[in-house]
Amino acid sequence: MAASKTDATSVSSLDTVENLTDIDSIKAAFDKFCVEEVTINSDLEKLIENQGRLENKMGNMHKVIPNIQILETDSKNLSNMVAFTSTLAENVSSKVRQLDLAKSRVTSCIARVEDILDLKFCTDGVQTALQNEDYEKAASHVHRFRNLDENVLRMSLTSGESSDTLDNSFKLLHEAENKLKSIVNSKFDAAVHSGDSASVERFFKIFPLLGLYDEGLTKFGKYLSSQLSETADKSIRLAEAMGSEDKRANVMYADLATQLFEHIAKVVEVRQPIIETYYGAGRLFTLLKILQVECDRQSRQILQQFKSKRNFDHVVQQVQQSTMFQKQPASEKYEPKGLDILLSEVVLLNTRAELYLRFIKRRSTNDIEAGFQNDVNIVKEKITDVDTFLDNCDLKRLMQELIGSYILMEEYFMREMVLKAVSMDSFDTGQPTSSMVDDSFFIVKKCARRSLSSGSVDGVCAMLNHACTVLEQDFREVLHSRIRVGFPSDQYLSVAYNMVQSSLQQGKLQSSDTEKQKAQFLTTLNNAEASCEYCQSLKTMLEAEVSKSFHQSSEHTKAKLESCLSDLGAAANRFKDVLEFGFTQLQSNAVKPRVKPLADGYLSTSHNITEEDFSNFEANDPWVQNCIVQLDTMLAAFKESLTSGNYDKFVSLITSEITSQMEKAVLKTAFNRLGGLQFDKELRALVGYLSTVTTWTIRDKFARLTQMATILNLEKVTEILDYWGPNSGPLTWRLTPTEVRHVLGLRVDFRSDEIKKLKL
Amino acid sequence: MEDYKYLFKVVLIGEAGVGKTCLVRRFTQGLFPPGQGATIGVDFMIKTVEIDGEKVKLQIWDTAGQERFRSITQSYYRSANSLILVYDVCCQASFDSLPTWIQEIETYASTKFCGYLVGNKTDKINDKEIPTHIGQQFADRYEMDFIETSAKEADNVDKLFYTIAKKLSKEAKQGELISDDTTKFNTDNTTSISNCSGCLKF
Repeated sequence: MAASKTDATSVSSLDTVENLTDIDSIKAAFDKFCVEEVTINSDLEKLIENQGRLENKMGNMHKVIPNIQILETDSKNLSNMVAFTSTLAENVSSKVRQLDLAKSRVTSCIARVEDILDLKFCTDGVQTALQNEDYEKAASHVHRFRNLDENVLRMSLTSGESSDTLDNSFKLLHEAENKLKSIVNSKFDAAVHSGDSASVERFFKIFPLLGLYDEGLTKFGKYLSSQLSETADKSIRLAEAMGSEDKRANVMYADLATQLFEHIAKVVEVRQPIIETYYGAGRLFTLLKILQVECDRQSRQILQQFKSKRNFDHVVQQVQQSTMFQKQPASEKYEPKGLDILLSEVVLLNTRAELYLRFIKRRSTNDIEAGFQNDVNIVKEKITDVDTFLDNCDLKRLMQELIGSYILMEEYFMREMVLKAVSMDSFDTGQPTSSMVDDSFFIVKKCARRSLSSGSVDGVCAMLNHACTVLEQDFREVLHSRIRVGFPSDQYLSVAYNMVQSSLQQGKLQSSDTEKQKAQFLTTLNNAEASCEYCQSLKTMLEAEVSKSFHQSSEHTKAKLESCLSDLGAAANRFKDVLEFGFTQLQSNAVKPRVKPLADGYLSTSHNITEEDFSNFEANDPWVQNCIVQLDTMLAAFKESLTSGNYDKFVSLITSEITSQMEKAVLKTAFNRLGGLQFDKELRALVGYLSTVTTWTIRDKFARLTQMATILNLEKVTEILDYWGPNSGPLTWRLTPTEVRHVLGLRVDFRSDEIKKLKL
Repeated sequence: MEDYKYLFKVVLIGEAGVGKTCLVRRFTQGLFPPGQGATIGVDFMIKTVEIDGEKVKLQIWDTAGQERFRSITQSYYRSANSLILVYDVCCQASFDSLPTWIQEIETYASTKFCGYLVGNKTDKINDKEIPTHIGQQFADRYEMDFIETSAKEADNVDKLFYTIAKKLSKEAKQGELISDDTTKFNTDNTTSISNCSGCLKF
């Protein structure tokens, strides 16, 4: 390549050389050619060097060639051998396969021979067993025969010789099977008829061997049902004979239902193992369905008895009427107290029924799960079947009806009893609350708990809703209307005083009326506080009980209950609103009028005083001592009649009022240095006193006033800067710069231009 | 606190078989379950919707229509922010029973709630027995809102619940404003007359 390239260039350059005319260019061309010659020479040398190496390689190649030929023949041999081996293996394995096939044929042949032998054996056995009345044995023969594939056996006999005997056997066996079926059926019926429970059980076990699963279970179920019915009738008769003074007389029908349910549960408990052993798992529900029919029948009977004996429908009707016409006089209303016992029995009835239905459901579900372990879909389908069956069974429907009436009556009971508690309200001296709070909450709690014990989720939810209504609407309305009357205005106000005086003279108003009114107002305030608290604790308590009673329920059910419970919390807040409303009433009618004269008293005391005045005040206090005494008498009067929570709230209310009125008064007062000192002393005394009467910290409320006192105690205007801004330290100023300037301006000895110059 | 601004209780009532459960299922789960069995007692579903960028939680109580559950379902009326009264447009009997339901509402519900009359099953066009204007007339007489729906075809179902959510949030907002500048005690449960438009007045 390199060489040819050089050639090409040299040729082309040679062409041009011939055209060259001047010496310089010829020289240049010559030089170029010289360089080219050198490179060509070196290229050639390199090629010659390679020659030896290439020859060596060629030699090596020649040596390898014979080896390759040997390899070729070897591999041909190998391939032949492999092919040979493979055909050999093929031959051998096909023989093995044939052998295998032969063997399996032999086995099935043996099996069939055995089957045929069995068949013969069964045929003989069945007959002897039937003759000996050994039905179990006969049935087991038939069972064995039923497991044989008849068609295959017939087909396997191509030669006609023994087909007759075979046909004969089949015929005999079919006959025997039918015979056995009818015998077992009739014997079972006879056993049932004669009440021979051992024989009943004996034949019950034979049914599955003959493939009569459903028939066996149905017959057995009917037998058990009739037994159930007998015992249930007996217990009803027994119960009817029971005297009314018996201690269980009040829950007689609940007890009857319990007996019925327990009996069925016991039957299931006892029979389940037998069914599982002889019928296999997954068939229990067939029996339970039949038993449920009888259970429904018996339950209906018990409930009918219950309703007629307890006059249930009549009571329900009366309650319904009383609810409809709430305005009618109390004397015409149905007496709620009479419901108490009836309601307890209804609840008990439902509890038992729920318990029983849960038991049946659990048993069926477990049995189905055990029976169809491999197929999730079948399990699901069967369980849905169970659910629909139980949801629609008569017992459930009857109980739903009963719970419906129960809620109607329980609500009536609760509302009427609460109203009664309100109307019978009384308060003992020394008790902060009156009787209606404790009584009403006791009733609500009782009713809510009773509904809880019924075990009916919807019943509980409904009663929780009703409890909220009664508390939030009926009961709260009573408190609210009493608060709305207001706290009677204060006698300290001269106007009011005169008015009271004049009415006293006219005999219109007894002074005790005002006192009574006051006491009632404060009691109502306490009632509202207690109600709020009770409502919360009622919710907490019910929450705990709900989670205990319904811990097995679905999340959905729990959420439902929780939602209804949370409404009780909302009801607590409504009581809080009433309380707040009460305190606003108290503030305008009791606190403001009493604090006002105190602040006025402060205003009328000069704080621009001489040294002499100051020391004189030391001995004869002009304002604060009297103020504290006044406050003390007022607080003492309220302390007795308020709960500690309400009292603290009241003190805090007074404190706020004092601070706001004092602030206004201070900002209207002129001070000198000593006056500031005097104010500081007064404030300390007041804060000191108020701190002793309450458990709350009130210093915070006095923060602004204390800061005012600090400012009024300054030596000179600029001293404020020692406390302000970066120098404030732990102190947070509650006064704005404008307010600070204003307070500074109250000092008669501070110059206003100096105050203006301050940079705050 | 959970992540929502308002919580409203919506209670569906009406005769058995008018499609209350289907309406709720359609709205909350987007399903139309064929062969729905009768509701037992009261069922309860929750769906959070967004109204003007704010999360509103609807607590929907689906009540049983059958008579024997009446005393259970009645207990939910008072705390309901909205009552949806459903009838079947193909079933004259379900429409004829409406006055009884109205009477029930009158007796048990609080005075302040949003009432909605719903004619369901509009998909069965050929079987329709109650013309739209008759339903509308009835709703007007009792100052209720009115809508016709099909839970099967998902017609107007979302619209129904969203309208309610919107209306209730609007009222709640107004209520907040009112309680800010006047004392809370004017809005007394038993004495105040609802001032919101579209509320039932008897």
